[in-house]
Amino acid sequence: MKTMEELHQQIAKTSYICGSCGSCRSVCPVYREIGWESSAPRRKIALAKEVFLKHKEKIATEQYAQRLQECTLCGKCAEICAAGINTRELWLDLREDLTARGMEHPNLKQMAVQLKTTHNISTFPNESRLDWAEDLDDVEVEVSKAGSEVAYFVGCVSSFYPMSVGISESIVSILDRANVNYTVLGSDEWCCGFPLIASGNSQQVTELAEHNVEKVRALGVKTLITGCASCYHTWTHEYPTILGEALGFEVLHATQYMARLIREKQLMPGNLEETVTYHDPCDLGRNSGIYDEPREILQAIEGLNFVEMPHRREMADCCGGGGNLAAVDKDLSQAIAVKRAREAVATGATILTSACQQCVQTLQMAARQEKLPLEVLDVTELLWRSLEE
Amino acid sequence: MEQALQKICGEKRATTDPFELAPYTKDVAYVPAILVNLLTNPLPKAVVQPISAEEISSVIKWARQANMPITVRGGGSTAYFNCIPMKSGLVIDTNRLQGFSEIELDPGSHQKMVWVKAGMTWKDLDDGLRQQGCAVCSSPSSAPSATIGGWVSMGGLGIGSVPYGSVHDQVMALRSVTATGEIVELSRPDKGPARNKGAEDLQFNDLMGTEGTRGIITEIKLLVRDVPEKEEHLLAVFNHETDTGAMMSWLGGKHFTALYNVHFSSPEFIMTLQKAGYAPEIPSGKYSLEIDLEGKRIDVDQAIAQITKQVELLSGTLLPEGVGAEEWKDRFKSLRLEQTLPSLLAAEITLPISQFATFYARLRQLGQKTDTLCVTYAHLVSPDTALVMVLYPSDELNLIRYIVDLSFTSNLYKLGNSLGGKPYVIGFWNTAYLKKIYTKEERDRRLQRKHAVDPHAMLNPGKGYNPPNIILNSTVFGFGMIMIGLFRPLVLKIQKGGKGQ
Repeated sequence: MKTMEELHQQIAKTSYICGSCGSCRSVCPVYREIGWESSAPRRKIALAKEVFLKHKEKIATEQYAQRLQECTLCGKCAEICAAGINTRELWLDLREDLTARGMEHPNLKQMAVQLKTTHNISTFPNESRLDWAEDLDDVEVEVSKAGSEVAYFVGCVSSFYPMSVGISESIVSILDRANVNYTVLGSDEWCCGFPLIASGNSQQVTELAEHNVEKVRALGVKTLITGCASCYHTWTHEYPTILGEALGFEVLHATQYMARLIREKQLMPGNLEETVTYHDPCDLGRNSGIYDEPREILQAIEGLNFVEMPHRREMADCCGGGGNLAAVDKDLSQAIAVKRAREAVATGATILTSACQQCVQTLQMAARQEKLPLEVLDVTELLWRSLEE
Repeated sequence: MEQALQKICGEKRATTDPFELAPYTKDVAYVPAILVNLLTNPLPKAVVQPISAEEISSVIKWARQANMPITVRGGGSTAYFNCIPMKSGLVIDTNRLQGFSEIELDPGSHQKMVWVKAGMTWKDLDDGLRQQGCAVCSSPSSAPSATIGGWVSMGGLGIGSVPYGSVHDQVMALRSVTATGEIVELSRPDKGPARNKGAEDLQFNDLMGTEGTRGIITEIKLLVRDVPEKEEHLLAVFNHETDTGAMMSWLGGKHFTALYNVHFSSPEFIMTLQKAGYAPEIPSGKYSLEIDLEGKRIDVDQAIAQITKQVELLSGTLLPEGVGAEEWKDRFKSLRLEQTLPSLLAAEITLPISQFATFYARLRQLGQKTDTLCVTYAHLVSPDTALVMVLYPSDELNLIRYIVDLSFTSNLYKLGNSLGGKPYVIGFWNTAYLKKIYTKEERDRRLQRKHAVDPHAMLNPGKGYNPPNIILNSTVFGFGMIMIGLFRPLVLKIQKGGKGQ
C-alpha cells in the first residue's frame, strides 16, 4: 500500500504526462452526460496537476472533489489515452487523497462506516448472506463443505438485493446440474472490498482481503469462482498485491468456469430462440481482459441469435453503475445506463446480457424506467434458462 | 447574463460559474500565465453549449447587443490558442452539436456524402460510418478529440490527405451562422450555386481554414468513402535521412491508387517511445516510414510489390508483417512520448517533400548546436508536401527555462521557411509569422473578407489576421525571440537537463 507521500508523488508524475489532447472526452460516459469541460478526464488531470505538481492547494475545492467522484472508473479513458496514462489508477489515487482530506462524498463515507460493521454493502446483517438460497427447491447449497473442489464467492449484490439473487440462484443451479463439487462461504464471506477501493478507503481492504483469503484457503479448494466482475477484479488484481503473495488457488469468473465446463462437455447448454446481445462489464472486460468466455457461452446455446453492440469489448460503453457513481449522483448513473440500454435495443436484441451483478441491476432499472422492450439478464441466468427449457 | 443565455440554450447549457469557465482558458499547449495574461484576457464571461443553429443565431444576436466578442471551441485539441478568447466575452462550445444524416449518393458524381454536425469528433463519425460500410476520407491525427467543425476551420491536413487532399476539398456544403446571426447554407462554388452572391455576404470559402473568424459552422456536408476492400500497413526502416526522404518523394510521385498515408518517425522519436516501453520491434537508430495502403485488393498488392523493390533499392528494410499494423493501431497515440518527455514544446510546419532530407539534416545540426533533443514525426499530406511536427523537451515547472525554450520554436520556423516551409496554423501565437505564411495580396484579401463579413470583429478577435498585440508584430517578435534565444544556452547550461533528461 502506498504511503500518502508516495501517492502524491505518483499523482504528480502521472498528471505531468497528460498532454490535454482530449481524446478521453468523447469516450467518457460522464462527460457525455454533463457536457462541461470540467467533467472531462483531461480537465480533472489538469486540476490534479495544479494541486500535486504545482502545489496550488486552493484548487482542491468541493467542486473539484465532486467531479473526481463523478466517475464510473470504467477505464475507457485509459484505453484511448494518447499519452498511454493508466487513468483508472490515477482516479483511484485521487480518491484516496480526497478521503485523506476529508472531502469524500458523505454517502461514500457512510458506506465505508457501515461496511466496517456489517462486512457487506447492504444494511442487512452478514448472517443473512445465504437467505437467497432458501428459495431454491431442488438445490441444497452447502456452506464451507470440506473436500469441495470449487468455492463460489457470491458477492454482496447478488447475496442481498432481490433484483440480483437470480444470478446466484442460477450459478448454484448450473454447478449442481454439472455435478460440480462446490461450496459457499455463507456468513464467512465478507465484502471483497471493491467499493472501498473505489471510494478511496483502500486501507480498510486489507482486513477484508486477509479474512476472505484465509477462509477460502481453509476450505482447500482448487478454484474460487465469482459471478461478480468487481469481486473478480479485486480477487485477481488487488488481493495478491495487498497480501504480497500468490493466493494459492485459481480464481475464475463464473463465465470462465462455465465456458470451461461446456468445452469439457461437463455441461450441455439448452435451446433458446432469442436474439441476445452482450454488455462487457468494465471490471471484467477492459479492466481484467475477459471478453471471450461470456460470448462463448451465449454462442453455445442452440437457437440463440447473438448480436453485438457497436461499442463492445475494449471499447464497450459503461453501464453507469461502476465506481460508486450511483451513490454520488444517481441520476447521472441512470442517464448513462439508459444510453447503454438503448444501444442494446438498437441491435434488435430482446435480451441484454452481462456478466456482472451491478451491470445487470443498473441496466435492468434503466430498461424499466424507459419502458424499453428489453429483458436484462446475467449470462449465467440465460444459460440456466436454456437448461431449464 | 447567465439567465439571458439560459433562456436561449436551457438551464444546463449556459454557465458563468468560474469553475466551469476556467477550462476554456486552455488548449493543448501550456503557456505560462505571465505570458498569457500579458497578451490576452482568456477567461470568458460565459460559456454556452447550443444544440442547434437557431440557438447559435440567438446567442450571436444577444452577444451583438451586449457588445461581447465570441470565440468558438470544438475539441480544444490544437496548440495555437485558436479557441481561447483574447478579449474574454462569450465562448460557444460546439460539442453538443452531435449526429449525422443518412448517407446520400450524389446522382451526378456517384459520390457518397453525409451531413454531419460540427461537434462530432472525427473518430466518432468514422466509427458511426463504418457500421454502415463507409468511412471518413481523411482525419486529423487527433481524430478522437478533434471535431468535424474544428478541423474544417483549421488546416485540414492529416491521415488520408495524400489521396483525398485537405478536408476542405471534401466539404460539399455548409450550414453556418453569420456574424449577424443569420443562418445560411452555402454550397461549394464549383458544386452548386452559392447561396450568397454579394461580396458582403458570407461565402463558402470564408469558412475553410479561417478558425471561426468569419462565421460559425454548424453542419457540414462531407464526402465519405466505402470501407476499403483491403488494408495493409508496411513498416520500412532506413539508415539515412536521404534514403528516407527519397522514399517519401518516390511514394508521393508514384501516385499509387492504394497509397493512403505515410508516417515518418525519426530515430529520436522511436528512441523516446522505446524508453517508455513502446515500439520494441523497431530497430533503434533507424528512420521509419509507416506506409498505409488501402483500396482494391489488386491495387494494394501491386503497390506492395513495387514498394518492396523500392525499399530494397534504397537499402531499407521492411519489418515483419504485423509491426506496421501495430503502429497503425496506435496512430492517434503519439503523445506517449510524454511518458519520457513530459513537457514538450513543438513547431508544426508544412514542407516541400523534396526538402525533407535537407530539413532533417539541418535540424540535426541545429539540435546539436543548441543542445536540443529534436523529436520529429511527419505525415505525407500531398504528393509533394509533408506536415512535419518537431517536438523538443522543456520543463513547465521552470518558468525561465520554459520561456527561453519557447524561442527555439522560432528557430524551427526559420529553418522550415528557408526550405520553402510554412507554419501550419495561425491561431494567436503564429500571427507573428503571418508574413511568412501569406503574401501581401493574400493578407489584404483575407483582411478584406474579414471586414466584409464581420465588420465589428465579433468572431474570434485576435486570430488569423494582423497581430493583435505589438509584441506579436513580426519585427518586434522576431527581435524578442533572438534576444531570448541568446540566453537559452546559458540557462540550459546552468540547469543541466538541456536534453530534457
